[in-house]
Amino acid sequence: MEASIRVKSRWAMGRVVPRLVLLACLGDVGMRLERVDPWTFRAWEALSAYRSPAAPFEANRRFEKTDSYGDLAALGNMPELRQYRSEVFTTDALGFRNPPGAWSRPPAAIVVGDSFVVGSGVSDDETVTSRLGALLGCPVYNAGGIDPDPDRLLALARKLNLDRGLVIHQFAEDFEMPAAPSEARRRYQKALAALGPEVGSLVGRVRGMLTISPLQIASEHALKSWENGRILPNRYVGRVVRGRLASGDSMLFLSYFFGKFHQKREVPTAYWTWLQKELRAGGLELAVVIVPSGYRVYRPFLVEPKPKPGEAVDDYPGRVEDDLRRAGIPALNLTAPLSAAAAKGLQEKQYLYWRDDIHWNVQGTEVAAQAIRDGLRDQLRCR
Amino acid sequence: MLFNSLPFLYLFLPVTYFVFWWLTTKTRRYAWLAFTGYVFYSFWNYKFCALMLFSTLVSFLAGLGLLRWQDPRRRRLCLVVPVTLDLALLGFFKYTNFALTSVNGLSTWLGAPTHFAAFDIVLPVGISFYTFHTVTYIVDSYQRRITPTTSFFEFASYVSLFPQLVAGPIVRFRQISDDLGNIDRAEETRDLDKGWSFFVMGMIKKVLLADTIGGIITPALANYTELSTLGAWLCMLGFAYQVYYDFGGYSDMAVGLGYMFGLRLPQNFNSPFQALNIADFWRRWHMSMSSFFRDYVYIPLGGSRGSRWAVSRNLMVTMLLAGLWHGANWPCVLWGGFIGLLLVVHGFIAPWWERMPSWSQRAGTFFLFVVSLAIFRSDNLTMIGGMVQLMFSWHPGPNMVGIEVLTALLLVSGALAHFGPNTFEMEHRWTPSYVTGFAVAFGVCLFVLYGSAAAPFLYFQF
Repeated sequence: MEASIRVKSRWAMGRVVPRLVLLACLGDVGMRLERVDPWTFRAWEALSAYRSPAAPFEANRRFEKTDSYGDLAALGNMPELRQYRSEVFTTDALGFRNPPGAWSRPPAAIVVGDSFVVGSGVSDDETVTSRLGALLGCPVYNAGGIDPDPDRLLALARKLNLDRGLVIHQFAEDFEMPAAPSEARRRYQKALAALGPEVGSLVGRVRGMLTISPLQIASEHALKSWENGRILPNRYVGRVVRGRLASGDSMLFLSYFFGKFHQKREVPTAYWTWLQKELRAGGLELAVVIVPSGYRVYRPFLVEPKPKPGEAVDDYPGRVEDDLRRAGIPALNLTAPLSAAAAKGLQEKQYLYWRDDIHWNVQGTEVAAQAIRDGLRDQLRCR
Repeated sequence: MLFNSLPFLYLFLPVTYFVFWWLTTKTRRYAWLAFTGYVFYSFWNYKFCALMLFSTLVSFLAGLGLLRWQDPRRRRLCLVVPVTLDLALLGFFKYTNFALTSVNGLSTWLGAPTHFAAFDIVLPVGISFYTFHTVTYIVDSYQRRITPTTSFFEFASYVSLFPQLVAGPIVRFRQISDDLGNIDRAEETRDLDKGWSFFVMGMIKKVLLADTIGGIITPALANYTELSTLGAWLCMLGFAYQVYYDFGGYSDMAVGLGYMFGLRLPQNFNSPFQALNIADFWRRWHMSMSSFFRDYVYIPLGGSRGSRWAVSRNLMVTMLLAGLWHGANWPCVLWGGFIGLLLVVHGFIAPWWERMPSWSQRAGTFFLFVVSLAIFRSDNLTMIGGMVQLMFSWHPGPNMVGIEVLTALLLVSGALAHFGPNTFEMEHRWTPSYVTGFAVAFGVCLFVLYGSAAAPFLYFQF
């Protein structure tokens, strides 16, 4: 009788459930001690999870994955539209995506900007900077993943022994335009840059552990496999727009940008004028390369959703290019070469952008690199 | 912060619990409960803590005035000023834009359009609930049903008590004053098992039943024009169980949390889907709200005294106000009016209705509630018309996504809601095998909480 009461009190709700909560909490903490790499679907998340606050990625790391797939397929929970590919992603000592030995000689240029520069979805030798470097016959430094902050760029140029060199800001129209940082922000960035690599790495590791939960990712994966639009409604489906091309293939676009496509946007010329002035003061020249969205390039070839005939389209990349040139800033709009190459490859089902991703693939980077080499021929010089 | 969130389970609840039981005096426990209530609230929007504090201070001072003064004029002042202030705040935040858009719509209809611009107003979460807490306190003090407290912290802990802060139950001071008065003598382990039992059942109802049903019917209702008749009925049935398990689950969690802190919160749902008629339904559904409207609106209007017409008028006014309380939009007002009409009609046909077998009374009551939800769940008058048309005329169409899971969930939910006991009817003395079962289900809830952003409770918006 007494034993039975003891068993019952041990198995009381007030004892079992709080212990279960504690166990789950400890399990979560325990899993955070391990790297998030096995839970990620591509390199970007794995290498940015524990990055130092002063760098876009963890320094001196190499990540290989044979079954990476696109961010839009992941975002919209559409496993059937994944395009599996192999991805090798290597970072240098500064946490940028460059192969070992990138510092051995001064680069022809530093390319700064977003994930299009970094080369999300392609391997090390397929990024736009790698392709451009191969075409030029000398290195081009990939500083993708950070906003074009003049203080950081000037410090980077000094580290790379790039005196009186060129900074290319590659601006993808899909992305929000960076703003000129406030003085407080600049001081903060400088303080971050002053952190030693060990401290930065430690801060990155701790921050990653606090913000990223492998248990959360695992349970998300499990639930998403149920929310597949058949067993349960796919609640992520609204995040992407599924288009059908004249070639018969489907291509995904981000709903957010899709919705914004017809809105007329301001050209922030003042920002680039400011950036040019700041860089010039440090001996660097600025050129801007405008990357059109995948939707802009493939819109003429869409069967569904079919663009309305006579629908007014704001040529935002063209306006950016014109305004910058008028302001005395060298600018290059990649819309024309990419559109021409897209039209050429359509019937062979050769695309320039991944069909499951916002970003371009190696065909896209190759076209872009050639256009940059031709368009900025006067500014790009091997050293 | 939500009860069904990891920061609540891993951080807020353990810290609040252990510090509470570590403190020994009344004042410290009151102060701690009040403080944690504000912390809990600030996770949503810290700026609105000042509004709650203001409302608390005004009502507390009014209570002191009512305690001190016997002069009827001064007492009336202590009633009118704080109640007006509280209701004015509620009116401003919740009903200003509704009033403006309604005036614009009405004037356009009359041919003299006005163009009042809507204000950028954020509705403070839970304002309907804590306003009702303070209003009932003042009115009950004025009517000498309770003795106002002289402890500010006691009152502040009553208003900002985190289990009932943002979505009720609408606890009246007299329902909790004994437990608050004995808070320093509460026993930590007395109701701990019961508290966790309530909490776990509430979590299961919310996370596994309400949210899963909601996940299926919400996208279907977003494109309601594509629904078939079967789909429309399944969606409305699903919504009936979703709203019941969502709010019923929240109430269970709130009651369970109260038990963990030695406080007994009142029952909010008494198996409403087992009600025999619509009047019975309203005595069982969201009991703290329906009793509020009964005691503070319906009875002061005259209640069931007077002619049949007067009673019908009182019912309609009360239910229209209840509808408006649920949401500042015309579908909610219409819904209140529809329920009021059902109550009036029930008054006429009650003798005939009661001659029917009890199963058909139950089924009929549930059917009427489900039909009323077509009004309540609609975003606008067009959708109400569309849903009613879909439900009452034959429209074939493709199956909605998740229909198999929805059907299974409806069967389980229906069996529990229509035939099972409610949480207040249970003993909460579970055998080890039951505890294991509940623990497994709770573990699944945790897993779901990890994998999806915690879904807010439907009643937060009221």
